[in-house]
Amino acid sequence: MKAVVLLSAGLHPNAGTPMPVRAELQAIALARGLGCEITGLHAGAKNPAIADCLGHGLASITVLAIGAEDDPVAALAAEITAQKPDLVLTARRGQGGSDTGLLPYRLARACGLAIAADAIALSKAGEGRLSVVQSLPRGGRRKLDLKTPALITVHPSAPPPRPFVHRERLAGKIEEKPGVREAVEATVFEDRPYRPRPKLIGDGGAAGSAEERLRAATEVKSAGGTLMIDPDPAEAAAAILDYLRAFRP
Amino acid sequence: MSRIRRDPRAALRAVTVATAPRLRIDRAWRGDSAFANETVAAPVEVAPRPVTIADPDYLVFAIADAPGGALTRHDRQVLGAARLLDGGGKAAVVLLTPCAVAAGDAGIAGADRILPVAQGDAWDPEGMAEAIAASVEKYQPRHVLFCESADGGDLARRVAARLGEIVFESVESLSSRTAIRPSGARRRESRGEPQRLMTVAPDMIAPWRGAPHEVTPLDPAVPSAAPRGILCAERLAVDAAEIPLGEAGLVIAAGNGVTDFSGFLGLACALGATPGASRVVCDAGSLPRGMQVGASGTVLNADCYVAFGISGAPQHLQGIGQVGHVVAVNTDLHAAMIARAELAIVADAQAVMPALLARLGAKP
Ligand SMILES: Cc1cc2nc3c(=O)[nH]c(=O)nc-3n(C[C@H](O)[C@H](O)[C@H](O)COP(=O)(O)OP(=O)(O)OC[C@H]3O[C@@H](n4cnc5c(N)ncnc54)[C@H](O)[C@@H]3O)c2cc1C
Ligand SMILES: Nc1ncnc2c1ncn2[C@@H]1O[C@H](COP(=O)(O)O)[C@@H](O)[C@H]1O
Repeated sequence: MKAVVLLSAGLHPNAGTPMPVRAELQAIALARGLGCEITGLHAGAKNPAIADCLGHGLASITVLAIGAEDDPVAALAAEITAQKPDLVLTARRGQGGSDTGLLPYRLARACGLAIAADAIALSKAGEGRLSVVQSLPRGGRRKLDLKTPALITVHPSAPPPRPFVHRERLAGKIEEKPGVREAVEATVFEDRPYRPRPKLIGDGGAAGSAEERLRAATEVKSAGGTLMIDPDPAEAAAAILDYLRAFRP
Repeated sequence: MSRIRRDPRAALRAVTVATAPRLRIDRAWRGDSAFANETVAAPVEVAPRPVTIADPDYLVFAIADAPGGALTRHDRQVLGAARLLDGGGKAAVVLLTPCAVAAGDAGIAGADRILPVAQGDAWDPEGMAEAIAASVEKYQPRHVLFCESADGGDLARRVAARLGEIVFESVESLSSRTAIRPSGARRRESRGEPQRLMTVAPDMIAPWRGAPHEVTPLDPAVPSAAPRGILCAERLAVDAAEIPLGEAGLVIAAGNGVTDFSGFLGLACALGATPGASRVVCDAGSLPRGMQVGASGTVLNADCYVAFGISGAPQHLQGIGQVGHVVAVNTDLHAAMIARAELAIVADAQAVMPALLARLGAKP
C-alpha cells in the first residue's frame, strides 16, 4: 500500500519558530503501523519544519516549489493524481498557516478521494477497503469502513509520534521539483496579533452588567427541581435512574 | 397605541396648596381625580409576544448538530450568532437539523424557520453535505453558520468543498460587520466581513436571549445523489471510566459523605458514568487526584452530574458551572448541592448506592 503524508509548514505556538505539526507526525506513525510505503509531500518553499519530519520516520519528502500566492491544492492535486497513492494522510488542521482545516476537503474533492476526519487508528479491511476509528467528543469512538483511495485527517488524540532520530533526519532525502502554479485571489482579511477573548461561563447568558454575569456564574442558584425528603432507598434509586435515562450511553 | 402624554406641570399644580407667601406643597397627596387621565398603569409582567418575520429581506442558515432532536448549548450559540447577522430583525434565521427539533424550543433559541435535512438511520456526512448544499443553492442564504464541533466542523468543510467556497472557521467574535478567527498557530487572528460560510467556536458567542420567534417550516430542497466513500459506520462502545473527566458526558461523584468507594466505582461502571470526587476525598487518598472535580481539579463539560455526599462548596460548584442537569444525594437538606440540584434527594448515600446497583443488576 502506498501512502502520502501531507506536511505543512508549522510554527511553534509560543515561540513562533518553525516546527513540524504534531498531528502530521502522528499521521506518519499511523501509516507506518499499516506497513505502508510512505512519502511526505509539501507544496511551498523548503522549510526547516518540513525537514525535521524526516527524523520522525519518513524516508523521503517531495517539496513542490510554488510561490506564496499560489494555491497549494492545485499543486498537490496534480502530484497526487500522478502518484496515485492508496492513502493520503493530513492533520485535521494546520498550525502556522491559515489553519482552516479546509485544504484536505478541497484536495479530496479535486482528486475524487473519499474523506474521513479525525482518525486515531487505521487498519486494512480487505481489498480496496480501509477501516478507520474516529475520535469524537466526550471520549466517543466511531468505526468507519472507507473505500480506497482515501484521504484521512488525523486527530491529536491519535497515538504519539515516533521520537525524533537525528540520524534518520540526516539520512532522509528531500526532493524539490516545480509544482503546478495556479494563483488564488488574495484574501481580504486583516491579519493582526491574536487577542484572547473570554469564554462564556455558566449557562452562557452574557446579558446584563459585569456584576450580573459574575453573579450568574458563581452564585448558587436554586434549580427549582424535585426535592425528595427521606424517601425509601429503592424509591430514590428509581427516581435517579428515571432522571438519568436521557444521559446514559 | 398612543398614550395621552403626561403633563409634567399637572402633578405640581395638583399638590400645590399655596404659592404665596411661599410655595406650599401637600406632600401627603396620593393622587385623585385631578390625575384621572394620567394614571400610569403598573407594569404588568406579560410573556413577550413571539416575533414573527413573515417577509424577510434575506435568510441566514444555522446548522445544528441537535443529537436526538435536542439543541445543544453549542447549537444555541450558533443560533445566537445567526441572530447577530439578521440586520436587526430583517432576516429570517433558518434552522437546519438532521433530527426534528420541537418548534417551541427552536423559537426560544432564535429560529424563524425550520428546514429538516433528511438523514437516514445511519450517520451519513456525505448525504448531509449534499442536502445542505442543495438547500443553500435553492434558498441562496446570505450566511450559513455551522458548529465548530467534531461533526459540525466536518460537515462545514464538506459543504464548502462542494460549493467551492472558503469557510471562515472557528469564529470567536462576531458582529454584523466583523468576524474574527484565530490563525497562524493561534498567534495571529484574521478579521474581516462576515463570510458566507462560517463555523462558530464553542462558548464564545452568546445564545439568543431576546423574545422567542415564531417558527414555520420551510420546504427542503431535493439533493442529488452524493458519491459514496463511507461504506459503513458504527459507534464503538467505550469504557466510561477511561474517558477524560473534562470530556465526559455523565459524571457521578463521591464526597465526604461516601464511605464505600469500591461500591461507588462499581456503580459508576454499572451506570456507564465517569467517576469523579470532591477534594476532601482526593486529599484523603480514597480516590485518585485525577478524579477531583472543582476549581483546583477538573472543570466539567458534562450534560449531567450526580453528587453523592457532597456539600457543594463554592470551589466544587465552580467545577460544575457548565453542567445543565444535577442530581444530589445528601443527608443535609440545607447543603448548597441540594439547592443546586434539579433532582435533590435527602437520604443516606450509603443506602441509595446499593439500591441503585440492585436496580441496575435486575435490569441488564
Ligand atoms: C483553594 C481551595 C481550592 C479548592 N478546590 C476544590 C476543588 O477543586 N474541588 C473540591 O471538591 N473542593 C475544593 N476545595 C475544598 C472545598 O472548599 C470543600 O472543602 C470540599 O469541596 C468539601 O468536600 P465534600 O463536600 O466532599 O465534604 P464536606 O464538606 O465534608 O461535605 C460532606 C457532605 O456529605 C453529607 N453527608 C454526610 N454523610 C452522608 C451520608 N451518609 N449520605 C449522604 N450525604 C452525607 C454531609 O451532609 C455534607 O453535606 C477547595 C478549597 C480551597 C480552599
Ligand atoms: N502547503 C501544503 N503542502 C502540503 N500539505 C499541506 C499544505 N497546507 C496544508 N497541508 C495539509 O493540510 C492540513 C490542513 O491544513 P489547513 O487546511 O491549512 O489547516 C495540514 O495539516 C497538512 O497536512
